[in-house]
Amino acid sequence: MKTKIILDEEQMPKKWYNIQADLRTPLDPVLHPKTQKPVTPDDLSVIFPMELIKQEVSQQRFIDIPEEVRDILRLWRPSPLYRAERLEKFLKTPAKIYFKWEGVSPPGSHKPNTSVPQAYYNMKEGITRIATETGAGQWGSALAFATSLFGLKCTVYMVRSSYAQKPYRKSMMQVWGAECIPSPSVKTQSGKAALEKDPDTTGSLGLAISEAVEDAATHNDTNYSLGSVLNHVCMHQTVIGIEAREQLAMVDEYPDVIIGCVGGGSNFAGISFPFAGDMITGKHPNVKLIAVEPSACPTLTKGLYAYDFGDVAGLAPILKMYTLGHDFIPPAIHAGGLRYHGDSPIVSKLVHERVMEAVAYHQSEVFEAAQTFARTEGIIVAPETAHAVKATIDEAIKCKKTGEAKVILFNNSGHGNFDMSAYDAFYQGKLVDYEYPADLIKESLAHLPKI
Amino acid sequence: MHIGFLVNPIAGMGGAVGLKGTDGLIEEAKSRGAQPCSGERACQTLSLLKDSGIHLLTCSGAMGEESAINAGFIDYEVVYKYFGESTSQDTENAVKEFIQKNIDIIVFCGGDGTARDILKIVGRNVPLLGIPAGVKMYSAIFAIDPVEASNILLESSTILYHDAEVIDVDEEAYRRGELVTHLFGYARVPYVPEKIQAAKSVFESQDEDRAKEEIAAFIVELIRDDTLYILGAGTTIETIAKKIGVEKTLLGVDVLKGRTLVARDANEQILLELINKESRVKIIISPIGAQGFILGRGSQQISPNVIKKVGISNMIIVATPYKLSKTPVLYVDSGDPTVNTAFGDYTQVISGYRIAQRKRIYLPKH
Repeated sequence: MKTKIILDEEQMPKKWYNIQADLRTPLDPVLHPKTQKPVTPDDLSVIFPMELIKQEVSQQRFIDIPEEVRDILRLWRPSPLYRAERLEKFLKTPAKIYFKWEGVSPPGSHKPNTSVPQAYYNMKEGITRIATETGAGQWGSALAFATSLFGLKCTVYMVRSSYAQKPYRKSMMQVWGAECIPSPSVKTQSGKAALEKDPDTTGSLGLAISEAVEDAATHNDTNYSLGSVLNHVCMHQTVIGIEAREQLAMVDEYPDVIIGCVGGGSNFAGISFPFAGDMITGKHPNVKLIAVEPSACPTLTKGLYAYDFGDVAGLAPILKMYTLGHDFIPPAIHAGGLRYHGDSPIVSKLVHERVMEAVAYHQSEVFEAAQTFARTEGIIVAPETAHAVKATIDEAIKCKKTGEAKVILFNNSGHGNFDMSAYDAFYQGKLVDYEYPADLIKESLAHLPKI
Repeated sequence: MHIGFLVNPIAGMGGAVGLKGTDGLIEEAKSRGAQPCSGERACQTLSLLKDSGIHLLTCSGAMGEESAINAGFIDYEVVYKYFGESTSQDTENAVKEFIQKNIDIIVFCGGDGTARDILKIVGRNVPLLGIPAGVKMYSAIFAIDPVEASNILLESSTILYHDAEVIDVDEEAYRRGELVTHLFGYARVPYVPEKIQAAKSVFESQDEDRAKEEIAAFIVELIRDDTLYILGAGTTIETIAKKIGVEKTLLGVDVLKGRTLVARDANEQILLELINKESRVKIIISPIGAQGFILGRGSQQISPNVIKKVGISNMIIVATPYKLSKTPVLYVDSGDPTVNTAFGDYTQVISGYRIAQRKRIYLPKH
């Protein structure tokens, strides 16, 4: 039995898979935040390069990955697929557990799969600076890495709670030449307004998005870049699932269960969309796709499927998605990357149509699982990824009860080497099991834009 | 900093000889061979404070001066002298002297009984900190041990204050093996925000007053005109009531219909009568005491009968993150096992604006 299943460099995908081509019904249109009418490419061109706008709405099943982008992806791709045999033995499960290891990229997560093409298209269209936000810092460092390769400037608005929690993520961004600002900041109107309302706010991803969008919209040389949620971002991540499918085929397997953690949805999209496509088109109809989220920010399991703003200030386009309300500021859990009020419209639609399912876990049980994984497979995963590990262990334990030898594949989206303070808190018994008081909050969702 | 410092010399003596409290039983305790211990504990705290620039105002002999001398504490003055055996009257008189001298905080070494005697005089006007030495310490105003007490006082530049319950335990009943407690009042108690490396806690409303405001802001959004609200005791609930626009009794159970006060300091009978007239009732309560009791300590008016009528799913439990960080589990002791177990293993506690925590429930064994 092989521990690592490795593809040759030339087997790295040449095309992204665009699941929009295979959706049973088209996505609901994206709406303009001011007019609440469907957005036009011109509306979006203020903050995005045209090529990405085209990808956002494309119905073409496969889209070529530019050679310059593949050149950079080759620094770490194809990423290895592992068989987690020691974890299986520890759990005494008949299930076969595989994981795709995305922590091998220079910034340490799946995020550069999209930051590299995004930086590339911006550079091609003459943009010299990109503004973005980051929650836990993984996206910010991934974009800093990508922009440095293409000679672009980069400004990252980092959610204040994470800025304090993870100072080394900020240092990484500096190494790659990016400017990292704690959000809310006084650099933007949205930031100023938030600070006026509450000087001690922890900040949120939704608020940091407002700042970055405003920065891009008010500077001609600057575009905006989003690390998750949007269709083109999810599509760029499909290299993960395409490779995994190849790698599993090399050992004559096809997964029964596919698992990923969900904040904005891109890493889960990356591992699951190629298989979701197989499912929708009837090639492999019986796959279980599980999105895992924190109980503190349970968008898919407790949210409402509705149109909502993508950011706090209401500057970003309005998307049809599962949402907890754009003014919801999730508690400061350690999985900062999962603190987003909304979700990818495609993931949302697929959950709504029951192609995918969603589960939510509390912080402490998630860190328990991450510890088990580290002690069996060696890798200390990011707190975000730990959610996927927890669901994987639970599925494997189910197999133990039923005696089924299912093939479970999960996306090990990043390492936790910068998250030791979170592990520290776990060992000190200081992790708080936050939850979302869904019943009591129902009324707060009355603030959604009326459409 | 000027500290009013007093020791209850007999605190804790009853405990060691099985008396479950020393009030009114000092002779009995002595005859059973009880030795004073509070002076020594007070001395531990003072020995860590002696070079800190703190000025001590204290009482004569075993009520303070002895501990100061034994600790090598030099900067102290005796402002109250007592004669014979010290009594609760001496505690009260000493506290009055302290107040006249404008002390910043009162530090005492004793138990729940001592806390009550002091609170009677100072209320929430002067902060209190207890060095634990008593038999019963259900009040939430004690440092974990004498060393922690000194640490809190040395961190005076970063000190925050929280409202902590002083609990009145019925000693007679306690000696019979029953724990009958009443909420006696609230004291201002200093604490040092935790400085753990995960700077997270810095953001998590370590500031109690702010946390209460956030909880209140959320609860107020839920208030409906057609609903009866039974509000339990405590300062978090008081903040909610204030935000709704009603004046609430701090220690009692009050009732609102929508935003209108319909009963103050209601007893079980009144609660049952009001509930019977309504179709939609919610109970809003906060854990009480150092142990975090959500039922059965301090607000017995919210009885098993009341809870059964309202339904556990209609109980909204609220508490600040600081309070929750001090109570790893919450206790339920309503007096009715079926009500207790109906809570299940976990409960949800609202701890901020649209934020809740999951807390484990512990059922005391009877």
